[in-house]
Amino acid sequence: MPAETGVLGSFGEPGAAARAVRALKAGGFADVRAAMPAPFPEVVAALGKPRSAVDFVTFPGALLGLLCGIGLTVGTSLAWPLVTGGKPIVSIPPFAIVIFEVTVLIGSLANLGALALGTWHGGRARFFPAQAQFNADRIGVFATGPDPLLAERILRESGAEEVSRVG
Amino acid sequence: MSLSFERLEATVRAAHGRPGRGYFLLLFLAAALAAFGGWAYSLVVREGLYLTGLQRPGGWGNLITDFVFWVGIAHSGTLISAILFLFRAKFRTAVYRVAEMMTVFAVMTAGLYPIFHLGRPWFAYWLFPIPNDRGLWVNFRSPLIWDVFAISTYFTVSTVFLLVGVAPDAAALRDKATGWRKKLYTLLAFGWRGTDEQWRHYTRAYLFFAAFATPLVVSVHSVVSWDFAVSILPGWHSTLFPPYFVAGAILSGVAMVIVILVPLRKWLHLEEIITPTHLDMLSRLVVLTSLIVTYSYVTEIATALGEPANDPERSTFIYRMTGDYAPLFWLMVACNCVGPALLLAGRVRRSIAAIFTISLFVNVGMWLERFNIVVTSLAHDRLPFNWRTYTPSWVEWAMTFGAFGWFFFWFLIGIKLLPPVSIAEMKEELAHEAHSSGEVAHAG
Repeated sequence: MPAETGVLGSFGEPGAAARAVRALKAGGFADVRAAMPAPFPEVVAALGKPRSAVDFVTFPGALLGLLCGIGLTVGTSLAWPLVTGGKPIVSIPPFAIVIFEVTVLIGSLANLGALALGTWHGGRARFFPAQAQFNADRIGVFATGPDPLLAERILRESGAEEVSRVG
Repeated sequence: MSLSFERLEATVRAAHGRPGRGYFLLLFLAAALAAFGGWAYSLVVREGLYLTGLQRPGGWGNLITDFVFWVGIAHSGTLISAILFLFRAKFRTAVYRVAEMMTVFAVMTAGLYPIFHLGRPWFAYWLFPIPNDRGLWVNFRSPLIWDVFAISTYFTVSTVFLLVGVAPDAAALRDKATGWRKKLYTLLAFGWRGTDEQWRHYTRAYLFFAAFATPLVVSVHSVVSWDFAVSILPGWHSTLFPPYFVAGAILSGVAMVIVILVPLRKWLHLEEIITPTHLDMLSRLVVLTSLIVTYSYVTEIATALGEPANDPERSTFIYRMTGDYAPLFWLMVACNCVGPALLLAGRVRRSIAAIFTISLFVNVGMWLERFNIVVTSLAHDRLPFNWRTYTPSWVEWAMTFGAFGWFFFWFLIGIKLLPPVSIAEMKEELAHEAHSSGEVAHAG
C-alpha cells in the first residue's frame, strides 16, 4: 500500500467531522476518507460512499448453500435408496430442515469471506495514515488534492483539533 | 453525558486486569466440577449406559434434559444480538456481548450430550455425512441428524457473529495493550483500522449476519422440539412444541443472562455501563416469554383434558400433574409462571436482587420443564404394563453438574479475554446521546 500525500484532520466529535467532509467535498476534494472508532451515521452519510457489495457474494453463497443442501440430502438418499419408517426416499419436509441449515451455514461463511475481503481491501489497499486514536476516541478525516492549504483551512474551520500534512 | 469514550475503554481494560484469588478459586471449582463430570462420563464409556438410571421405557432422562436445557440457554445470545439488532432495540448494546459469549459456550456444552448418549461415542463422526467405502450415508429423515446440522450450524454462525463483533473492539484494545494481550488483540482485530471503507463493508455484512442468525434462532429449538414432536408418544406428539420450545428457550436464556450479568457488573465494575435500566428491559423479556410459556402450558393441558376419559394423552397429563413427578411439575409452574409474573410490577423490576432471584428460579424451572417433558411422557406411555418411574443415578447427576462446571470454566476464561461489552457500539450510542444533549462525545 503506497503512502499518499494529503492533509489529515483529527476531530473529537462526529458532527464536526461530518461538516468537514461536506466542506471538503464542496471545496473540490473528490477523495475524502475517514477513520473512526464506530460507524457514526453523520460521518458515513457525509462521505456518501456507495453501499457495500458484500451482497454480491453473500446471496450467491446462500444460493450455493441451498443447492448443496438439496444435493446432499436428495443425492445421498438416491445413492443408497433405503426406505426407513415407510417414508419416501426423497422426503421433502425433513430434507427442508437440513437444506435450510446448509443454506444458512454456507451463506454466513460466504458473508464472512466477503467481509474479510472487503475489510482487507478497505484497510490495506486504500491508504489512511495509521493512528491509534482513530480506534479510540478521535475521528480522522484525510483529504488528498492539489491544494493542501485549502484543505487545512477547511479542516480547521470545521473544528479539527489537530491538522497535519501527510507524506 | 455520564460516560466518555476514554472512560468506557478504561473500564473494559480494567475488567481485563489481573484476576484476584476469588477468580482463580471460581475457575478451579468450575474445572473441578467439569473434571468430576468427565470422570463420571468415563465410567459410562468404560462400563456402559447401565450406570445411568435409564431403563425401558425411560430411554431418555437427565442427559437429554440437559441437552435441551443448554440449547435453550444458548438462545438468548443470538436473540439479543441479532433479533434485537434488527429491531433497533438500543438496550441490547450494553448486554449482548456477554449473551453472545454465553451462547457459544452453552452450545459447546449442549453439543456434548448427544455424544454422551451414544452407546459407542467413538463413532460419533458417523453422524456426519462423510463419504465412505461402503457408500453409506446418514439418514436425513432422522431427527438426530437434524440436530447435528442445527447445532453445528448454530455453533459456527454464533462463533462467527461473536468474533466479527469483537474485531473493532479488539483493535481499540490492541493499540494500548502490551505483551501477550497485544498479540491476542492483534489476532482478533483481523487487521482492523477503522477506516470508512472497512466500516462500509462491516455494517452491511453485520446486517446479513443478523438476518441469517434470526431464523436460525427460531429453527434450532424448533428442530430440538421435533426430536419429541415427530414421535407418537403422548405428551410429545404436539404441533404446539416448536413455538413453545422457542419461547421457553428465550425465557431460560434471558434469565441466565440476568443471573450472570448481576454479579458480573459488580465484579468487573461495569455498573456505569450495564445499568438497572438494562436489567429492567431484560426482565420485561422474561415476563413476555414467561406469558407465552404459561399460555403453552395451559393450552396443552386444556387440550389433553378435553380428550375422552381413556385417551392416553389425557392420562399422561393427569399423571404429570398428580403422579410421581407432580411436585416437580408444580415447582416448574411456580418458577416459570408465578415468579416471572411478579416482574409485571415496576417496583419488583427496579430491585436487582428480586430480578436476580426470580431469574435464578426460572432457570431451575426451565430445567424441570424439560425433565417433565422428557421423563413423565416416557414413564407413562401408551402401554400401562410398561409404566416405570425413572430416577437419575449419581453418574447422571455428576454429568449434569459437570456441565455447569464446563460452561462456567470457559465463560470465566472468555470474560477475561474478550471485551465484556461492545466498545464500538457503545461509542456510537454515546455519541448519539451526546449529540442529542448538546455535549461533546469524548468529553471526560
